[in-house]
Amino acid sequence: MMKHLFNFIVFPGFLFTAAVGLVASWIDRKVTARVQWRVGPPWYQPLIDLVKLSIKEITVPRGAIKPVFFLAPLVGLSGVILASTFIWLPNIDLGATGFRGDIIVVLYLLTLPAIALILGASSSGNPLASVGLSREIKLVLAYELPFIIALTIPIIKSSGLLKLTDLVAYQTINGAFVSSISGVLAIIVAIFCMQAKLGLVPFDMGEAETEIMGGVLIEYSGMLLGIFKLTKTMMLVALPVFLSTVFWGGFSIWKYVVLLVIIVLMRNTNPRVRIDQAVRFFWGKMTAIAIIAAFLATLGM
Amino acid sequence: MLLQPILISILAGAFILVAPKKIRKIVEGFSLATSIYLFLACIRIFIKSPINGGFLYVDGLSRFIVLGIGFFGALVTLYSLRFMASYTQFRSYYANIIWTIGLSMLAASSNNMIVLLTAWGFLGLTLYMLINVAGPNAANTSKKTFIIIGGSDSLMIMGFALVWLITGDLNLSNIKIVIDNSLSFWAFLLIAIGAFAKAGAMPFHTWIPDTAKEAPVPVTAFLPASLDKLLGIYLLARLVMNVFILNSSTQALLMAIGAITIVAAVMMALVQHDFKRLLGYHAVSQVGYMVLGLGTGNPIGIAGGLFHMLNNALYKTSLFLSGGNVQYKTKTSDLDSLGGLGKVMPISFFSALIAALAISGVPPLNGFFSKWMVYQGVIEKGKSGGVLWIFCLVAAMFGSGLTLASFIKFIHAIFLGKAKGERRAASDERRNEVSLSMWLPPLILAVLCIVFGIFASLIPLKYLIVPALADNLDFIGSWPSAKAALFLLIGLGVGLLVYLAGNFKGVRETDPYIGGEEVEEKMRLSGTEFYGTIKELPFIRAFYKKAEKKLFDIYEIAKKFIFVFIRIFQYLHNGVLPTYLVWCLLGIIVFLFVLVR
Repeated sequence: MMKHLFNFIVFPGFLFTAAVGLVASWIDRKVTARVQWRVGPPWYQPLIDLVKLSIKEITVPRGAIKPVFFLAPLVGLSGVILASTFIWLPNIDLGATGFRGDIIVVLYLLTLPAIALILGASSSGNPLASVGLSREIKLVLAYELPFIIALTIPIIKSSGLLKLTDLVAYQTINGAFVSSISGVLAIIVAIFCMQAKLGLVPFDMGEAETEIMGGVLIEYSGMLLGIFKLTKTMMLVALPVFLSTVFWGGFSIWKYVVLLVIIVLMRNTNPRVRIDQAVRFFWGKMTAIAIIAAFLATLGM
Repeated sequence: MLLQPILISILAGAFILVAPKKIRKIVEGFSLATSIYLFLACIRIFIKSPINGGFLYVDGLSRFIVLGIGFFGALVTLYSLRFMASYTQFRSYYANIIWTIGLSMLAASSNNMIVLLTAWGFLGLTLYMLINVAGPNAANTSKKTFIIIGGSDSLMIMGFALVWLITGDLNLSNIKIVIDNSLSFWAFLLIAIGAFAKAGAMPFHTWIPDTAKEAPVPVTAFLPASLDKLLGIYLLARLVMNVFILNSSTQALLMAIGAITIVAAVMMALVQHDFKRLLGYHAVSQVGYMVLGLGTGNPIGIAGGLFHMLNNALYKTSLFLSGGNVQYKTKTSDLDSLGGLGKVMPISFFSALIAALAISGVPPLNGFFSKWMVYQGVIEKGKSGGVLWIFCLVAAMFGSGLTLASFIKFIHAIFLGKAKGERRAASDERRNEVSLSMWLPPLILAVLCIVFGIFASLIPLKYLIVPALADNLDFIGSWPSAKAALFLLIGLGVGLLVYLAGNFKGVRETDPYIGGEEVEEKMRLSGTEFYGTIKELPFIRAFYKKAEKKLFDIYEIAKKFIFVFIRIFQYLHNGVLPTYLVWCLLGIIVFLFVLVR
């Protein structure tokens, strides 16, 4: 039990993932700055931002449903901590038992931050937050379909394995899933879905600072906003590691860097799309590719 | 011991029906006492089982169905005391509720096909009577319900007749039919149609959203949401597990029906403007998971289907009852004009939120656990090859996302968000919860949702589901629910520490910020238009257009079909006496000709 607690809070759960996430978000900001011919912040900037938020005043809009408004950030954080613990464990210790997750569990836990964000925005009673949350939930619907289909490909190819440990073990013996055509297609789809799950450009219409002033986050301030930012930072670690675990034979630093670079490049070279374009993109092209991948996987390709 | 509570329920119902109208309080108290007595009797049956008493028997499968019937019966009767206070036909209402409890117990515990069919038929009748309590507006709905249920009942009778033809036996426990020819397949299918119509699987689902809209809320919470699911899925489980041995194509048929039901019904729920209809469509959609689970034919899938049936009864009843509280307070069920009630009715809000998250499959609640088991059943089935399982898996998992989306809309439009101007002024946003007998039942159910989710393998699976199965459960996946829930709680604590680590000086209330402008009434987003973008997508728009024209409603299709026949008879019955006489004369001539020849 103590070991699980350590796993959950220190390594590889909360503190470790958060630390990696802060570094990753610094890389993101530095690269973005270089792309835009700026110098970019020093490496500790994301941490300072968090500390800065923690000393700011917290305001609540009049008429908000306060219990939901205050609990939402915490629920999202808790969900992402548990998910990242589940995702990291098979990569550091294949043999341990008792505290394990499988693909479905992780998929559901990774939606908790989105649900928390949506409920928090909804409880604030701000019309712009309502606009943001309506986009956010539609975006969830949009990427969930191709993401689910992409995630069936490891299950099909391993003929019915579900636990993350089993999948990693299977891939170490039989080679990573990305070494086949269906695996490549699946990870491409999953990368796009990851971008949307992270709420980064071109899929940041739920926040859209220039348009609806942060949308779902508009009423959040101080440490509540800080916790949402922290959750998002941790997602920036949890999702790429999840993808490399289920498609790419397990985590390693260079795989993570590759995925991070893809995320950063995609976010710097694209404009924000409208929500209906996003829904059409995910339910159209992405779903089609995912279905082709699933079809190829059943043929063993 | 089995027969006694059933007989008492019938006598008590008859007494309530003939009691004088003036002693309303006594009738209500008597109904509550009877329902509690029946619940206690159900608990006794549950503990004493297995019981074998000739026509009636209770085994591992039916014993928790009986328990569920008693539990929901007592809860709904308690809720009705206040909710039904304004209805004049209370005698008919309570009599039929009590009868329904007794007859459901009879149906769940009958071993003899004739007894089962009799109880099943009367249940259709009590449902009809209960919908009619709502007054003349519900007449069309109750007629539709009665025709769909009655029609499927008659198909079911044919199915049981085929079973009798094959085996020559009327006792379900003696029958074991291998589906290997078309006769046994039709026997299965015809009985299954009865179960589908009761539970509300597609395409026999159309009575449920209508009933949800028209009937009083406790009726919907009691029948389509909980009891009819328990009975319909019980019958299907009985067929799948004991009476028939399915072949793979029959299993595939069940799985396909399940998957289509999940997605199609939830797509309809997404665009509803009335929360009772929205919940009604979800009552259909959830059946899909149960049918899908039973269709997989492996222990984990069947256990998942049964567990989902139980969980669905819990959260769906909780949702309907909390929705009933909202309707009781605001006198409307229109999502467009509600909003911001989370402050006014905190307990109902809590129950509804927990139940909504549970139905959307958010871990660690019960809905997630049973869906997760169904998925594993589908994957297990996939090990024997084919591609159907992939379709079913994706449909079920995506259906869960769609469910989440439509419940975000539900929660936003009713409890969060903002109320319409005039309503906001009226409600004054002060706490104004309904009375104890109305908030307690949904709260109990919501708490059960949490308990059943966190301690799934310790309590419900161990005592209720696994005894019903012949085999042990093998999980492919891994979800340590109790431990994970504990760690989620610890995670909340961690978040709280991070929060308090900041400069916490209390919070300040401000006006909502929209760039310095005043928030105006026309800026309110009620939530009903959340999915307008999706409704306008090319392919999906066509689907909704067809659904609006009721092209998927089996009742409307059958009506059109029958009206063609009726027109022929109408043409003959033109009311002109000489024409009739000519027909008589012609008939006599034909008769004479045949006889004399």
